[in-house]
Order: sequence, then C-alpha cells, then structure tokens
Amino acid sequence: MFDSVSSVALQSALDGLAMRQRVIADNVANIQTPGYHAKKVAFEDALSKAVGNGSGAVTAHVARSLEPTRMDGNNVNLDEETLLNVDTNLRFQLASQAMSHEFTNLRTAMRTN
Amino acid sequence: MTIFGAIGIASTGLTVHRKWLDAVSDNLANVSTVRPTSEAAFRQKYVVAQEITGGDGGVQVAGVLEGSAEGRLVYEPTNPLADEEGYVRYPDIDMSSQMTQLIMAQRGYQANAAVVDRAKETYQAALQIGRN
Amino acid sequence: MTVPISAIAGLSSVTSVAPTQSVAETAGTASTSGAGFANVLSGIDNLQQLQSTTNDLAVKAVTGDLDDVHDYTIAAAESSTALELTAAVRNKAVEAFNEIMRMQA
Repeated sequence: MFDSVSSVALQSALDGLAMRQRVIADNVANIQTPGYHAKKVAFEDALSKAVGNGSGAVTAHVARSLEPTRMDGNNVNLDEETLLNVDTNLRFQLASQAMSHEFTNLRTAMRTN
Repeated sequence: MTIFGAIGIASTGLTVHRKWLDAVSDNLANVSTVRPTSEAAFRQKYVVAQEITGGDGGVQVAGVLEGSAEGRLVYEPTNPLADEEGYVRYPDIDMSSQMTQLIMAQRGYQANAAVVDRAKETYQAALQIGRN
Repeated sequence: MTVPISAIAGLSSVTSVAPTQSVAETAGTASTSGAGFANVLSGIDNLQQLQSTTNDLAVKAVTGDLDDVHDYTIAAAESSTALELTAAVRNKAVEAFNEIMRMQA
C-alpha cells in the first residue's frame, strides 16, 4: 500500500536529511579539531535519477568536503554549516508534511461518516 | 534556483563578510609591526569579492590582494631593528579607513543574517498553506 | 533651495456610480437529475489528476528540482480538499440510499 514511487522516494529523502543533520552536528562539534575535514551528505541527485528509473529508493552516503583548509588543517565553515542546518530543517519539515499528507488522505477516504 | 535558495545565497554572503572581517582584523592587529628597512613592510590585505555567475548566484572571494611593501620609513634610532641611519619600516595602514571597513563588514554580515531570518519565516509560512 | 509645492488641483466631481445590474437569473437551475450526477463523477476524475500532480510535486520538491515551495503546498491543499469533498458526497449518497431502503422495508 505504501510502496509507490513517491512514498519510497519521500522515505529515502527523510533518511538522507536525517543523516545530513547528524553530519552537520558532527562538523560543528569538530570545528576546532586540527586536521578535521568537513563531511557532506549528498542524495538529491541519486534520488532524482532513481525516480527517473522508476524505483525511488536510494541510500545516502557521506563524503569528505574538498574545501581548502585553514592553518590547522580544519576546513569546517561555521556559517555554511549553520545555514545548511536551517535549510535541512525546512526540507525535513516539507518531506514529513508530504508523508503525513498521504496518510491523512487515506484516512479521509476510509471514514464513513 | 534551488528550493530554499535564499538561504544558500545568504550563506555565501556571510562567508565573504566574515573573511573581510578577518582581513581587517589582521591589518589592525599588525598596525605597529615594525620591520627593518632591509625587509618589506607588513603588507595590508584586501579581500576581493566576486559574484558567482552559475547556479543560484551569490558571492565568493576571488582572491586576497596585498598592499604595498614600501611602508612608511620612520626615524627611530633607539629601536633595535633600526638601520645605520636610524630608520625602521612601519606598515602603511590607514587606521580610519580600516575602522570604516570594519563597520561595513559587520553591517554586511548582519544584513545577510537578517536575510536568512526573513527567508526562513517566509518558507515556513509557505509550508503552512492549507494546514488546519 | 526648496521647490515650492504647487497647490493641489481641486478634485473633479466624482461621476455618479452606475447602478449595479440586477443579477441575471441563473439560467434554469437544473433540478438534481442526470446533469447534476454527471458533474460529481467528473469531479472524481479531476481528483485523480490532482493527486498525481501533488505526488509529482512532492518528489520534485524532495529531489531539489522544485523552485517554489508554495507550488507543492497549494497543490496538496487542493487535492485534500477535493478528496474530502468526494468522500463527503459519497457518504451522503450512501446515507440517502440507506434511508430509502429503510423506508421500503
């Protein structure tokens, strides 16, 4: 019942966004650690390809950022991480709203009064 | 334009203004850095901003230029670094213009942060459409 | 040197407002018969399309291809309202049918 392409895609997106939140927290915690390279989560491109192919399920993976490092070998950019956090929150809100929309619709159709 | 594009663009603005702030603070910290006349003076840093043409737009730091190495020759015979004629090299930094730049960098940073706040409220309002 | 402000030109007299046309009689409000029921069925077809548009926009929003968030939220609101309308009509129709069946027995 919940295995249409859009449902699975939304679920993958929620997983990817949650992973991104964790990675951002990790980066911000390590902002003073020498030699630490910021981590990034990318899943949007893979997801749009998968949806194009008709499947919709992707697993997000963590990659290392290749931004230039500062003197201590650390390349975490605090402004970028903070704002990426805001952006990820909004996207998560959007995706979870879309998911609950599907359930709400089903319940409306099921109600008989 | 990505879905929450205003936030990403403001993020580039914040990064550039912060780097500007870093450069100005470096210049002000080194305003009294004395060097002997045989060496170059402390060179003032200028951050050059350039707009990002592709994708969403925004701004990036194209490079950091360095000011003149001449500096000012000041007569200080008691300074241990003075040469035979008693001159040392001071950096050629105009404090008042650096303070002005400091204020401009701070205001620019605040303006971009305000953009983020407003954009976030706007997007949240859009997400509330139709919810009861 | 300040430029003197010219005196505000006197308001030309407001032309009288034309009386509102009487609402033309709605062309024969059809009694709920064959025509009314067909409308309901076409509404249900529209519902399918609204739902699939909403799903497409949701996937586009999540993969980052959507430019405006409100496109998705408006489509979602439209499709849930259409669904609620269809469900309400169906429920009332079933109730009415049951009433009639009760009458006969």
